[in-house]
Amino acid sequence: MSDPILQLKNIRKNFDTFEAIKDISLDIREGEFLTIVGPSGSGKTTLIRLMVGMDEPSSGEIWLRDERIDKLPANKRPTCMVFQSLALFPHRSVGENIEFPLKIRGVDLQVRRQKALELLELLRLPQSYHGKRIHECSGGERQRVALARALAFDPEILFFDEPLSALDYRLRKTLEKELKALHEKTGKTFVYITHSLEEAMVMSDRIAIMKAGVFEQIDPAREIYSRPVSRFVAEFMGEVNLIPFKIAGKVLTSPGEIMLSKSVTSDISGQLKKANASCGTIVVRPEFVAFGKGQAADFSVEGRVLQDYELGSRIQYEVEAAGLGLVTIEKLRMDMFDGKPGDQCTLSWAMSDCHLIVGE
Amino acid sequence: MKPSYSTKIVLFAYGILAIIFLYLPLLSVSFASISRARYLTFPIKAYSFKWYTKAFESDTVTDLVIISLKVASIVTIVSMVLGFFGALAFARYNWRFRHLFQKVILLPIFFPQAVLGLALLIWFNSLGVIPTWKTAIISHLVWISPITTLIIAIRAYSFDSSLEEAARDMGASTFTIFREVTLPLLMPGVISAGLFSFLLSWGNFPLSLFTTGADLTMPEWLYAKMISGYSPLVPTVGMLSISVSLFVIVFAFAVAHLVRMIKQARI
Repeated sequence: MSDPILQLKNIRKNFDTFEAIKDISLDIREGEFLTIVGPSGSGKTTLIRLMVGMDEPSSGEIWLRDERIDKLPANKRPTCMVFQSLALFPHRSVGENIEFPLKIRGVDLQVRRQKALELLELLRLPQSYHGKRIHECSGGERQRVALARALAFDPEILFFDEPLSALDYRLRKTLEKELKALHEKTGKTFVYITHSLEEAMVMSDRIAIMKAGVFEQIDPAREIYSRPVSRFVAEFMGEVNLIPFKIAGKVLTSPGEIMLSKSVTSDISGQLKKANASCGTIVVRPEFVAFGKGQAADFSVEGRVLQDYELGSRIQYEVEAAGLGLVTIEKLRMDMFDGKPGDQCTLSWAMSDCHLIVGE
Repeated sequence: MKPSYSTKIVLFAYGILAIIFLYLPLLSVSFASISRARYLTFPIKAYSFKWYTKAFESDTVTDLVIISLKVASIVTIVSMVLGFFGALAFARYNWRFRHLFQKVILLPIFFPQAVLGLALLIWFNSLGVIPTWKTAIISHLVWISPITTLIIAIRAYSFDSSLEEAARDMGASTFTIFREVTLPLLMPGVISAGLFSFLLSWGNFPLSLFTTGADLTMPEWLYAKMISGYSPLVPTVGMLSISVSLFVIVFAFAVAHLVRMIKQARI
């Protein structure tokens, strides 16, 4: 693995008595697409502002390759950010906006113009847009102009502060894919923050889940989805069923009237004992719960279907399971439950589709 | 909502009445200025432009115009600069006494101007400054620069501060940000503030009355001549004064329109 391009070492940031960032360390790899996801107030905007140089950390160090940069102001750093508001200059044309970072550097007008036209083409905007006013552009076009302007700066790392959050669903989906393609095409390091998990999953090489000023987990999307380290991460990554287990005395007690196969009982209690924990949570995603009792069913429980919701390609069911409360199930259309709300059913799933979170 | 027919009639009548109420007095002044007779009587028996000729030939009137113009121009320029930086402090930056500053700076607008003028006169006297048209500039500024600050601050409030941050992020120094982003974005506010300050200073009477000393601005002269020594030169000079104000406004609109046309043509 190559050396990190940006390193955060024990970064803290306090606002008066409020600790926005609590001791964060992070290595960002050269050329990766890293997304920092967290609910609002988790400190992700504060963190990105520290990384681009709009704020100084209260303590800790930031290194860009071999250079310590945490005391450098934003205009002295070779990084650039696409703002949530996009921050396009309304008094300048599309072309002038894109050329702005080059103008600051004193690049020749002809060279500047040439570069702006190239970038327009890269972002699939017609060249005639060079003279257009910003307010004449649509939301998606502005997005591309802001991106072109950031690329014109030719930064070492490109930061994004939720730039897609104001767009409608379809456009957002298109731009997410374009952004991922652009990342591959330019080979630059992208650091993206968002509160939308879907956005993060589509684009990123790695996702960092942030909660109250610390990272809960940093892993590729698939890993985070199937092996969350905490209940917070599990719940943040979409619909999930969390089933708590306890060890009382030496016996594993399962909640409700859930039936466990022998091998699973010893597996779970073994894992918990090994970690010296008295409790744990089984994480099972809605798509892995089956109706009926299959061959490989390690867990099974009786229940009654309460509700079904159309999700388009899938259907979601809410099942009242004996002693467990609500269990959420999602099925593709071809695997639909052949009954209606109110019907009794048996639910089952396999241990190989679950993940055990040890401890509280 | 579309107004009904009867509502339309009422609204129309109301509009007409408002316009008559506002502009009829001005119209009568203009009639007075072109009447041949020494005193205004209706209907006017004979028209004449001789008072305009007299006004243009008169040294007194030339002096009035020069002094009023000097005061108004200097007040305009200084209050634009003061208002610009005041507005930045007012609306864009967070600092300890900001809220106090916002209130204190606007207070002079609501003082009776006569009291403000008197206070300044007493102050000039105790400092040993002899009041002339130059001291009037200061008194005008005390009243007008809060207004320009307010006008520019309204513009500054709608200013997205991430624009400046973005410029800095792309390598711009503080001065470059000011020149490339802050100034051009606040410019429409600065221009309209300048327009306001010129017109307010040009037409100001109470502050000038107290603080010009031996010098006379146009409104002061109008008042003095009304009190004693009325001649149709008074409405004539009045009309000339209004014409200057109108000219400034029309000129500003024309320039704004032209700028827009040029921008459109570039695209």
